[in-house]
Amino acid sequence: MAKRYEALPHTADAAFIAYGDTLEEVFENAAFAMFDMVFDLSGASGRHTRPVVADGDTPEELLVAWLNELLAESETRGLAFSRFGVDRLEEGGVQGWAGGDPVDELPLIGAPVKAATHHDLAIVEIPHGWWARVVLDV
Amino acid sequence: MTRFRPAGEAVWEAPASGGMRVPGRVFASEGLFRAAAEDRALEQVVNVAHLPGIVRASFAMPDIHWGYGFPIGGVAATDVAAGGVVSPGGVGFDICCGVRLIGSDLTVDDLRPRLEAVMARLDAAIPRGLGKGAATGRRLIHDVLARGARAAVDAGIGTTHDLERCEEGGSASGAEPDLLSERAVERGSGQLGSLGAGNHFLEVQVVERVVDLEAAAGFGLFTGMVCVMIHCGSRGLGHQTCTDHVKSMGPAMKRHGIEVPDRQLASVPVLSEEGERYLGAMAASANFAWANRHILAEATRGAFAAGLGRPVEMPLIYDVAHNLAKLEEHVVDRRPRRLCVHRKGATRAVGPGHRTLPDDLRAIGQPVLIPGSMGTASWVLGGVEGNPAFDSAAHGAGRAMSRTQAKKQSSGRQVLDDLESQQIAVRPGSVSLLSEEAPYAYKDVDEVVRVCGITGLARPVARLRPIGVVKG
Repeated sequence: MAKRYEALPHTADAAFIAYGDTLEEVFENAAFAMFDMVFDLSGASGRHTRPVVADGDTPEELLVAWLNELLAESETRGLAFSRFGVDRLEEGGVQGWAGGDPVDELPLIGAPVKAATHHDLAIVEIPHGWWARVVLDV
Repeated sequence: MTRFRPAGEAVWEAPASGGMRVPGRVFASEGLFRAAAEDRALEQVVNVAHLPGIVRASFAMPDIHWGYGFPIGGVAATDVAAGGVVSPGGVGFDICCGVRLIGSDLTVDDLRPRLEAVMARLDAAIPRGLGKGAATGRRLIHDVLARGARAAVDAGIGTTHDLERCEEGGSASGAEPDLLSERAVERGSGQLGSLGAGNHFLEVQVVERVVDLEAAAGFGLFTGMVCVMIHCGSRGLGHQTCTDHVKSMGPAMKRHGIEVPDRQLASVPVLSEEGERYLGAMAASANFAWANRHILAEATRGAFAAGLGRPVEMPLIYDVAHNLAKLEEHVVDRRPRRLCVHRKGATRAVGPGHRTLPDDLRAIGQPVLIPGSMGTASWVLGGVEGNPAFDSAAHGAGRAMSRTQAKKQSSGRQVLDDLESQQIAVRPGSVSLLSEEAPYAYKDVDEVVRVCGITGLARPVARLRPIGVVKG
């Protein structure tokens, strides 16, 4: 799919719609959106990989948990992630990985994200794919 | 939203309907109200009115804008004994984000010749930006989580006067550090004494105009005085704590039979295990935030002394949070009640005589700190008796423009040049981020303050303009 995500206007915070052929791809592209809005990822190697595991009862809860886990991992490891893979997405849990570069190696282009929120959250199946809308607190 | 109607001078009300338990009430001039109506902030005021146990109204301050769950500028009080809830979304991810104002014995004329030297020292002394940096070691953190800024004073950082002039004495009651997740403590460990990024800042300001001489003198402010304003919060530790509790409250809400119109309004009764756990973790996060601002203030004093080459008196004027839920007693329907007052982007503003004020402020009321955007002005107001919104006032100018829109309007470099042409020295952590926080992205802070005055939220005392900005 050509377009991975689209930024949406929000007065104080940030929001996006991520696309994907599969739900797994939507999770990967949502993660990409969250970091691409903050860092210039064009020169990123994504060479430092980290496992990412999150749980939640619904696809929406899982998506927020996955994004928030990536934020925590990014902050504690000092990594800006640019590559993502979802290995397993099932009821109750998601398992995957993220590849990043040290944050001081990539130019900052947007305000850092505090958290992914549940506000206005949506995951929708469309013909030939999915999309998800996420509002971030910045 | 059409259901809001004028209900007095600069007051707009939406009567309770549907699942609303109380009306929605917005304090705003016509211009500010129209701005709020352009996005989804008013819908959020209505949503908050659905919270179980909410009393009087779902309020919004004059700087209201679209948030996530609660509007920014939202105030909601729930009656604890009547099943009232606590909502982590009503506090926000940046728990105890707030503002600290430090005075000085310097006038702007004293500082001008040495401003560049002071700014260079601040640039080096104030850790900011992404996650990184800490002005002090990690060993303090556990004591700080339990006792807040008091722990920092005991470790030799700052003075007891700093504690007297801080809301709650800089130390939240009921803090339970053991209820914080390992992840939260891990995120906070390296961040104590750091500013962060986004709209957080440290500004060197000058008292440009005093409009209430008596109150200004009582607060310790005079025209021409150099001040420093610090805006920041509990960093990753607070973000993680909110994330943890919003998540765990999903299933808990089902158990308590609570339904809310927005999942981000997740809430549980104050008098429940989950409610108590959140409040204990929130208080520990608040302690982190108060100690964080306290440590940054002490680093600021050191930078001033080094830049000036002599010691400087820089007493704390006040420190107050604008993202917090507090258990407070208020009279509702002529009966004193214990309420859980959520202020999400709203400053606590208690009037003269309030028992929580230190002796030297009791006759005047609490200093209410309202930062504006970096090129314009900030205000100090005073708390008044009879505040109509559970002793709350605005917390800033309020955003008028999205970050994407602001970035399109001009580059960070242009914003930097504009500020410097106005004799404002800027030390950005990242030049490109400056445009997101450009003055044109915010509403008129003078208008917000004027509305606070006419609606009895707080009375204007002094206007401060920036001469130096340190940003993340």
